[in-house]
Amino acid sequence: PRPDVHPLPPGTHLLYAQSGRIEHVPLEGYEMKKDAGKAVLHLPEKVIIGVAYDCVEKMVYWTEITSPSISKASVQAGEPTAVITSDLDSPEGIAIDHLSRTMFWTDSVKDHIEVASLDGSQRRVIIDTDLVNPRAIVTDPPNGNLYWADWNREAPKIETSHMDGSNRRVLVKDDLSLPNGLTYDSQSSLLCWADAGTHKLECTHPSHGDRRKVIEGLQYPFGITSFGKNIYYTDWRRDAVVAVDRHAGKESDMYQPQKKTKIYGIATAYAQCPAGQNYCAVN
Amino acid sequence: DATSGSSSDCQPCPCPNTCSVVPRTREVGKRCELCDDGFFGDPLGQSGPVRTCRACKCSENIDPNAVGNCERETGECLKCIYNTDGFFCDRCRDGFYGNALAPAVGDKCKACSCSPLGTLGSQVSCSPVTGQCQCLSNVEERDCSACQPGFYNLQSGDGCDRCNCNPIGSTN
Repeated sequence: PRPDVHPLPPGTHLLYAQSGRIEHVPLEGYEMKKDAGKAVLHLPEKVIIGVAYDCVEKMVYWTEITSPSISKASVQAGEPTAVITSDLDSPEGIAIDHLSRTMFWTDSVKDHIEVASLDGSQRRVIIDTDLVNPRAIVTDPPNGNLYWADWNREAPKIETSHMDGSNRRVLVKDDLSLPNGLTYDSQSSLLCWADAGTHKLECTHPSHGDRRKVIEGLQYPFGITSFGKNIYYTDWRRDAVVAVDRHAGKESDMYQPQKKTKIYGIATAYAQCPAGQNYCAVN
Repeated sequence: DATSGSSSDCQPCPCPNTCSVVPRTREVGKRCELCDDGFFGDPLGQSGPVRTCRACKCSENIDPNAVGNCERETGECLKCIYNTDGFFCDRCRDGFYGNALAPAVGDKCKACSCSPLGTLGSQVSCSPVTGQCQCLSNVEERDCSACQPGFYNLQSGDGCDRCNCNPIGSTN
C-alpha cells in the first residue's frame, strides 16, 4: 500500500471527493472525527465529481471528468479499477443499487441517465429525453425507485422512475433553482435535496408528496448524503463538509479539510448494508 | 544523496501539504503542478513558460454551477452555453448566428431557422454573423423564405420560377 493512502477502518464514514482525492472522515455517532480525516485514494490527475459506496463489497465508485470514466476501488486500500471508459462526456452523479448489483449515472453533456452492472457490463441508457443539466442521482433499492435532479436554470426539477426508466414522473418543480444534491434515506423514506440557488435544504416523502423545509441560508451546497437524523453536505464556498441536524433544523458541525479546494460528491460508507431485498435481487 | 557529506545532501520532499501560501490560487496535484477544476494554466511550467492558474476564460458563456468548464492546462472552453461555441465560447455554434459576446443573453446567438423549402440542400446553418441562409435560385430573405419579385412557386423546393406574366395584361 502507498504511504499516502489509508485503508478505511471499521465503522461508518463519510467519503467525499476533493480535486484528485477521495477522502474519508469517520463518524462517531453523528460526530465527524475531524482529526482522523484521511485520503482513501490519491488520483492527482483527475477531477472526481460523483462518489457512491457499495456496502456489499465495500467498494467506492466514482465519476471523473478529465478523461471521462467511472472507476472503483476497495476502501481497504485497493488499486483503482476502471469500470467504464467509453462513451462518456461529463459523468457526474453516480448511485448504486447494492441489492441488484447495478449502478446508475447522469451525464450532463449527453443529457441522459444510464445503468450498468457493477462490472460495467449490460450497459443501457434508461432516460434520454427532457434533461438539460442532470447531476444528482440516488436509488431506493428496496422499493426499486430511482430519483434524480436536473439543475437546468430554465426549469429545474426533481424526477423519479422505476429502475428501468419506466413510470417516470416529476416530483418537484416549483421553487427550485440549482438542486445540486439529492439523498434518499431508506429508514425514514425521506428524499432530501440541497439547492445552491434557493440556499435551502428541503425534504419530501415521495409517496406522500409533502414538502418540508429543513433549513435555509446554506452557502453553496454541491453534494449531500444522509445518515440517521443528520444530513451532510459539501459546500463550495467554505470548502467544507457541513452537518445538518434534520430534526433540529440547524447546522450542527463543520469540517474543513486542510486543503482549500472545492469538495464535490459525498457518500455515506455504512458499516453494514441496510436490511431489505428487491424484485431484481431475487429474480 | 546522503553519501557526499555536505549539509545539503538531503532535500525536503517536493510534497507540500497545501499548494500555496495564498489560498485560492487553485493549484492541485502532488507537486502543485495542476490547476483545479474551473481554472487553467501550467503553474510549474512543465510544457513551456510558467502560467499561474486563472479562472476559465469563456466570454461569460459558461455556467458557474457546471463542472469541467475548461481544459485545465490549455483553457479550452468545454461547456459553452447560450448556443455559443469555440475555444473561448466566442462565436455562435452551428445553426445559430449573432454576437456571442453581446452582454445580454437575448442578444447573443439566435437560431438560423432557414426555411427548408428555400434553402440549398435544406441546410440548417447560416452565416454566423449576418444569419444569411444559402438560398436556392431566385429565393430571397435572410431565412430564404420568399421568392424574389417576379418569381413564384417556393413550394417546389427547387427555387422559384419566373412568373412569365404577359407585360401587356399585367399591372406592373
